[in-house]
Amino acid sequence: MAKASRYLGQALLYALFFLPIAWLTHQPTHTHLEPGMAELKIAVRHAGKIIGQCGTDNSAPEVLLPEHVTRPEICPRERSPLQLELLLDGETLYRATVAPSGLHNDGVSSMYRRFRVPAGRHHLALRMNDDAAREGATWELVAPIELAPAQVLVATFKEGFRLQ
Amino acid sequence: MKALLKKGFHQADRLFSNVFTPQWNPLYQLGALSFFYFWIVAITGVYLFIFFETSIHGAYASIERITHEQWFVGGVMRSFHRYASAAMGISVTLHLLREYAMDRYSGPRWFSWVTGIPLLWLLFAAAIGGYWLVWDQQAQYIAILTAEFLDWLPIMVDPMASNFLNESTLSNRLFSLLVFLHIGIPLALLLGMFIHIKRISAARTNPAKGLAAGTLLAMLAVSLWKPALSQAPANLDRAVTEVGLDWVFLNTYPLIDSWGPGQTWALLVGLSCLLTIVPWLPSRRPEQTPIAVVDPENCNGCGWCLADCPYEAVTMKEHDFKSGHQQSVVDPDLCLSCGICAGACPSSSPFRHVDELTTGISIPGFHIKELLSLTENKLAVLATGAPRIMLYGCDHGSVVEPMASDSVAAISMPCSALVPPAFVDYVLRKNLADGVVISGCCEGDCHYRLGNSWLEQRFSQERMPILRTRVPRERVRLRWLGEQGTAQLREEIDAFQRDLTAETVVTLQEAPNG
Ligand code: HEM
Repeated sequence: MAKASRYLGQALLYALFFLPIAWLTHQPTHTHLEPGMAELKIAVRHAGKIIGQCGTDNSAPEVLLPEHVTRPEICPRERSPLQLELLLDGETLYRATVAPSGLHNDGVSSMYRRFRVPAGRHHLALRMNDDAAREGATWELVAPIELAPAQVLVATFKEGFRLQ
Repeated sequence: MKALLKKGFHQADRLFSNVFTPQWNPLYQLGALSFFYFWIVAITGVYLFIFFETSIHGAYASIERITHEQWFVGGVMRSFHRYASAAMGISVTLHLLREYAMDRYSGPRWFSWVTGIPLLWLLFAAAIGGYWLVWDQQAQYIAILTAEFLDWLPIMVDPMASNFLNESTLSNRLFSLLVFLHIGIPLALLLGMFIHIKRISAARTNPAKGLAAGTLLAMLAVSLWKPALSQAPANLDRAVTEVGLDWVFLNTYPLIDSWGPGQTWALLVGLSCLLTIVPWLPSRRPEQTPIAVVDPENCNGCGWCLADCPYEAVTMKEHDFKSGHQQSVVDPDLCLSCGICAGACPSSSPFRHVDELTTGISIPGFHIKELLSLTENKLAVLATGAPRIMLYGCDHGSVVEPMASDSVAAISMPCSALVPPAFVDYVLRKNLADGVVISGCCEGDCHYRLGNSWLEQRFSQERMPILRTRVPRERVRLRWLGEQGTAQLREEIDAFQRDLTAETVVTLQEAPNG
């Protein structure tokens, strides 16, 4: 092959390699969220109530205790799991039990979820039980919301549910 | 599928070798090209890092400044950084497909194959981290999806995604972590790349100069024509709707979007596991398992086999019984039984005065003694009419055995570099044949990496053992046409025979005058 035509061929083959790269690094666009949709995120980081109450340590027999020594108090460490519920217009979007972290279930419970929801007016209900000793919701937020398209509404928890 | 892939590569090889010459053919140096792209990304990355601001608001703005206020340097550097990464993604993928199609992954090659797989993960992770730093719409999209993807693994107590709830939860510290990762992951990749080629001697990590220059020019042209730009800045208070993606590296994100993290993890981990076990699947090519054997009696410790082994399978140790001498040792885990060592051994000479030819190192499946007897027996039965040709070929290149005729003796072996130069000398000197042809894989694409280079160098006396000066070079042809060039080889042998006939006639005509 003549030198000039070889270089021309090389130019063509380089183009064949780099043009798809130039195209692929920009195109085609991907639709992540359909028009008319919005996002609702919920992120809760909260430590449930301790399960049980403090009590005295009765493990050592009375005779072994030195005089004037009172029995030590023992407190349980295990925390209640969080029972969470998110309803939009009466429909359950999310219902789950979030276990506490830590080997002894004594840490914080943490969760996050993202939902795609239609923009517009909605009725939002968030409920949580963080105390295994009690029935039903210990925390609740019920509110009407209005979402613009592509708006991100975030529900978090800090001494009560908050919407941002 | 493998056969189809191989056919596709063979056709592309032919085109690329014609246009680029075999020395510059990019398909023969995809691993080296990947290294080259890596270095471009690394150098341009250092430049970008100097001007990059590690903060939520600084990140986007600083990259905009690099792109627009100094586009002739910064803009081009940024484009090179992006396009060289993408080019590396493509060249690595082609490299993987090629090694698979050409059956270069089983046996001791499992090491290169298996160590290649984490490189894919690291390469993708590095690229994703890079796009993240730009902190535009694409970055916002991948930040949230990556966090959700990683959160699926039960590792962290606090979900990573809760860092990206909205603008108020974003922290500068996270950006520092990202920058750290975007430097750390490529360094891990580089380390992985060196581990990947650890068992390969004289690994080709630099592409041919002409190819490197051409690639740079092409990349410059693309960078000027379509510079890398950011999308609109990220804003976590508004969800990303339509997003432009780099489909080379971010192709799994739409999958996470529609399947969710669990299934995407299953797919990626499943694919990686499947890829990992490929070297042990039944569809692999059975390699010659018996490894090279050293015969201490005939090994003088010259080290030529060590210099020529393409897989670092040969080392030297103190000689078993000749004190003060060394002797070769073969590591069975590394030996591919190509026989290049047997061709390198000075003892593999049929001129030696021994009853039965033995040598210092050889492969059990194709001992040098066997090569000699095959050569002598096959040549002995050729008719004397047409010029007699000894055709040596390899099992991975042009298919030579069907070319045997009453004037052509053909022997195929694992690698043509198994033929010691002394054999060519012997065959011609003893007038067993009128010409010798050695064929093999395509130039630059030897199945055992270095066979044809070593043979060329031995014949041009640049490498031991040399083809002696007394051997008439016009009676010897080295042809690297590969499997796809089988028909062409046949034609060239006919032409060689015609040349040899003409030469004989000329010699006869010249004789009375001379
Ligand atoms: C960052 C990515 C990679 C780079 C830079 C790279 C580079 C290289 C280089 C330079 C060689 C030596 C070539 C030679 O001198 O003959 C090589 C060999 C090899 N590579 Fe890669 N590689 C990469 C990824 C992969 C992947 C993903 C796979 C497959 C899973 C793979 C499989 C192999 C195999 C099997 C060989 C050995 C070939 C032989 O023994 O002939 N590589 N690679």
